[in-house]
Amino acid sequence: MALTIISLIKQVPLPSEMRMGEDGLMDRTKAKSIINVDCQFGLEAGLQLKKKYPDARMIACSMGPFSFETALKTALSMGYDEAYLLSDRKLGGSDTYATGLALATLLKHLGFTKESKEPFIIFTGRQTSDGDTAHVPSQVAENMGLPQATFVERVEADGKGNIIARRIIEGGHQELQLPMPCVVSLTPTGIPPRKPSLSGAIKARNTNITVLGVDDINLTSPKIGLAGSPTIVANVQNITSDRPPVMMAEGQGDKELVDSFITQFETGGNTLQKKEEKERRVRETPDFPVIDTREENRGILTWAEVVNGKISPSSLELLTPSLNLAEQLGGETKITTVLIGKNVKPLAKTLFEHGSDEVVVVEDDRLEEYLVLPFSDILAQVIRERKPEIALFAATTAGRELAPRIGVKTGSGVTADCTGLEIGEYVNRREKEIIRPILHSRRPTYGESKLATILGFIYPQISTARPGTFPVPKQQDGRTGTLSVFKPKLKEEDFIVKIRKTVRGEGGLQSLLDADVIISGGRGATSDNLQLVKELAAALKEKGIKAEWAGSRVVVDEGVAEYARQIGQTGRTVRPKVYVAVGISGAIQHIYGIKEAGTIVAIDHNPKASIFKHADFGILGEYEDVVPELIDRVKGGFTFGVEPAKS
Amino acid sequence: MDNVTVKTDVLIIGGGPSGLSFAIRLADLLKEKGLERRILLIDKGNSIGSHIISGALVRPGIFSELLPDTPAEEIPFDSKVSSNKMYMLSERGKLRIPITPPYMGNKGHYTASLGELCRFLANKAEEKGVEIYTGFAMSDILYDEKGKVIGAKTIDTGVDQQGNQMENFQEGTPVEAKLTIFAEGSRGSLTKKLIQKFNLDEGRNQQIYSLGCKELWSVPEGTIAPGEVYNTMGFPASDFGAFGGGFIYGLKDNKIALGLVIGLDYADPTFDTHNAFQVWKKHPFVAQFLKGGTIVEYGAKTLPEGGYYAVPKLFTDNALIVGDSAGLLAMPALKGIHLAVQSGMLAAQTALVALEQNDFSEKTLQTYEQLVKKSTIHSELYRNRNFRQGFVKGMIPGMFHFGTQLITGGAGFCGRLKNHSDSEATKTLADAKKPLFIEKYKDLEFDKELTFDKVTDVYYSGVAHDDHQVPHLQVNDPETFNTVNIKEYGAPCQYYCSAEVYEVHTDREGKQELRIHFENCLHCKTCDIKEPAGGITWNVPYGGNGPDYKYM
Repeated sequence: MALTIISLIKQVPLPSEMRMGEDGLMDRTKAKSIINVDCQFGLEAGLQLKKKYPDARMIACSMGPFSFETALKTALSMGYDEAYLLSDRKLGGSDTYATGLALATLLKHLGFTKESKEPFIIFTGRQTSDGDTAHVPSQVAENMGLPQATFVERVEADGKGNIIARRIIEGGHQELQLPMPCVVSLTPTGIPPRKPSLSGAIKARNTNITVLGVDDINLTSPKIGLAGSPTIVANVQNITSDRPPVMMAEGQGDKELVDSFITQFETGGNTLQKKEEKERRVRETPDFPVIDTREENRGILTWAEVVNGKISPSSLELLTPSLNLAEQLGGETKITTVLIGKNVKPLAKTLFEHGSDEVVVVEDDRLEEYLVLPFSDILAQVIRERKPEIALFAATTAGRELAPRIGVKTGSGVTADCTGLEIGEYVNRREKEIIRPILHSRRPTYGESKLATILGFIYPQISTARPGTFPVPKQQDGRTGTLSVFKPKLKEEDFIVKIRKTVRGEGGLQSLLDADVIISGGRGATSDNLQLVKELAAALKEKGIKAEWAGSRVVVDEGVAEYARQIGQTGRTVRPKVYVAVGISGAIQHIYGIKEAGTIVAIDHNPKASIFKHADFGILGEYEDVVPELIDRVKGGFTFGVEPAKS
Repeated sequence: MDNVTVKTDVLIIGGGPSGLSFAIRLADLLKEKGLERRILLIDKGNSIGSHIISGALVRPGIFSELLPDTPAEEIPFDSKVSSNKMYMLSERGKLRIPITPPYMGNKGHYTASLGELCRFLANKAEEKGVEIYTGFAMSDILYDEKGKVIGAKTIDTGVDQQGNQMENFQEGTPVEAKLTIFAEGSRGSLTKKLIQKFNLDEGRNQQIYSLGCKELWSVPEGTIAPGEVYNTMGFPASDFGAFGGGFIYGLKDNKIALGLVIGLDYADPTFDTHNAFQVWKKHPFVAQFLKGGTIVEYGAKTLPEGGYYAVPKLFTDNALIVGDSAGLLAMPALKGIHLAVQSGMLAAQTALVALEQNDFSEKTLQTYEQLVKKSTIHSELYRNRNFRQGFVKGMIPGMFHFGTQLITGGAGFCGRLKNHSDSEATKTLADAKKPLFIEKYKDLEFDKELTFDKVTDVYYSGVAHDDHQVPHLQVNDPETFNTVNIKEYGAPCQYYCSAEVYEVHTDREGKQELRIHFENCLHCKTCDIKEPAGGITWNVPYGGNGPDYKYM
């Protein structure tokens, strides 16, 4: 009974921070294609598992144009034996929902189903650098009816047919035990992918890649390709900086530089010269009939994530866009929040006081800790009963796997990691109609300073919202609402994944969101593994300042900082009073994650680093020299103008 | 299990013009004889051409010889040379040299991107059945129990910077070959080991090199016509007694290739070829071509300039050396491409005989060296056999020597001129002539429009290296490095390096240490050549690492 190890990979343009052009945009002329980095970690996880199962059959699969054969060849030269490419014009423009469906159909066609007698395991990357949704692993798992573990950095086999996966969660990690077959998505903090070997490349040259189309795999669903996808990209616009130009410290040597910086900091930076915005030519809305496609679907549903016996702040933040959307929708629009757990009923009060009109409580002793299978099942059942038009989740590690899994159950597409949620309309020029109201979900797209607006046409319209983007609504003491109890139908099978342990460390999400000063390190601050960054934060803490340290995506990917400390894209938005960027080049997603910060100070040796274009104050120098000097000043009483927190 | 030994008839290390020409020629010859043999060509670049950089001006004829069935217009040269002018530059002025010095004419030549040519040759080779694998670095020569070459092995991957095996460790793939061709280019790291092991340079002059830094620019329409060629001598190299000059080539689509090539036998430990190149670009004669333009690419490489007397023995049992690795470069024209192609073709003739007779011993392979000696490679190298050595003491005595060599058919009045290695030529800070390069150009600034600091230029090379590997640049003796190379010589590596790999860091207590940013390395190998007392060894990093040249 040989194991089959399957790896799903995608080919993407090289998303290197190093290739950011002069204008801060990705220089596409230099972009090569690579296997998406997270997928490479998935490939490696498969090869590591093979050490335990030397007879395992190794299969790599991808979906995309013929050029994706390059990626599959690389997988073969890393040690995979067979490769399949699902390639069909009909699949062009597929969103994540359609992609998940197509890949699951491919795997079923290859003989891998829940009922298969032979065990198998599917490895994927956590998310792709060009889409950045992290949806597809969940969608494949749901389409195949398999258990899953996402955001995993370590995989081991227990020799009894189970996989032990170390899953990253906010502020720590979890150890999950999953039976095979299952789907496991890997973060780039796992074991780094191996280089292809020459002997592997020679083997790859002599191995044919099987290319299959939708007819070959009997993919008959209309929900594929651009036309069949439940979501569309309606609009893409530029993100512009609204900070005044940076003020650079002047002087020779570290001491003078830091002196100059402190003087500048205390007297205030440059002021913004408002440029007159050119009036944008508004495309006239044609006189089409307005239709409301919602039918009986009404209201907004949110999920309240419970962490350590409390409602997670990101779930409370979710009520801000919910309240706005309810107001824009008008009338009787209600906000229903689902609260799942063990003895969670008392927490409903907090939700009412922050804006929920109704709290649906689901209690069960087995639901004390979040698990994707029962939670997605419960939420889908509530959705089917309540028929909300919109369902919102915080884009936490839980929300980001839960939402797509639910989406497959309800047939909805999902928009990931939104930073803006509004009600608008969709002008369908082909059908000559206007759909109104419809949810406009806005999210930054990778590598470019663009904000995409995504629309979904299947109800509920599901989106996840980036933690830290929306403020927690003002608490209204004494506000109440309807408390109802929901009894879900749960299957034994929903509990086949076991949590072996949960570790939540100090720091991480919450203290980053609460911090007044964040000292953050990037690639350029790693020669001491962020030691100086941590010391500067510690020196501020000693002065009673609410300070935390954090890292850019690169340092997290390299394992120097844990995921929970990542700032920027698919990490989080922070809004400290002062943000100090040390050795951070300023990739656009990072800039987006800090744009709410009060004052931004940048320290880097590269005068061209784009972080300087987005900072208020800049110090040009080696961080190894500048930061010790700053630490001395902090010890001497300089606290970046922030008052010690009253405890 | 993944580490299967690969067996082949012929292994070619390096996919430049010499290795590819060898492969094409051998494939053709085997086909003529109706023989089938496996030919494996391995290149460390991410793809063919990504590590290829040259001026380049090429003679088209040799390519027609290599590819007799290919119409000349299919070969992707850039433009036919339309004019060819030589200038002597002083700090502010210029003097046109009305006649072209002997052996430096470029009539009938073409400007070209050698990378583009190599991609073309690689396609031809693959059509003829040659197996080409790119992105694999050969780190060790394999020897049999008698000490004879039997192939090479790719570098082990999955080790950390200290050399410890990580979980993704993979042992390199051994490739066993009946015949191994060393075609690594200038200062090949395995060729160096081969030459040392078998004393192939016994009785030869020390090989000496020059370093060329090049930029590719896109310029406004009408700035330069395709095929316009300018060479400059004098400024800024002559101020420091260095041998060298600049080139400006007009390419199609309003592109310019320009560069500065400096002999590495200079004495000033602070001389910086990259910065001299930037200074040269500011000269009004050069700057006029770049006005309104933008940089497209940057790169650097060394060239073996030692000439005839520095060419090593070209064969040993089971192995041949071709092209730049063999030091086959014609001076004073600084042209090696046609010799690389020709040497590859001659080596292929010999390889055919060896394959037919299944005899790869020196007895059979020595034919290659005899063929070279009978060919125009020999005549081109021999007539200028003393050219470069004559310039050791500077340009004026060099010109005198060159003059006498012209009269005497290359011998000069002294017979064979000996030389010193480039690394020996470097003087200590105390002994070097003042002002030093860094003193003269202490206020040098880079405006990021016309001139660029190294880091910015390096960005335009597309260079990348994996973080997780043993740094491929190795300081051989850290202690003497600190006391001698840093203290007495002032750490020349921070200046000669074309890519800001080396940094002397002074901490707050004033303690100095060398930091190696190997991720910037352009594989030019100047450090391996120029560091005083041979203090640095250049090894191969992981395959696929290094620059990613597009049209260099």
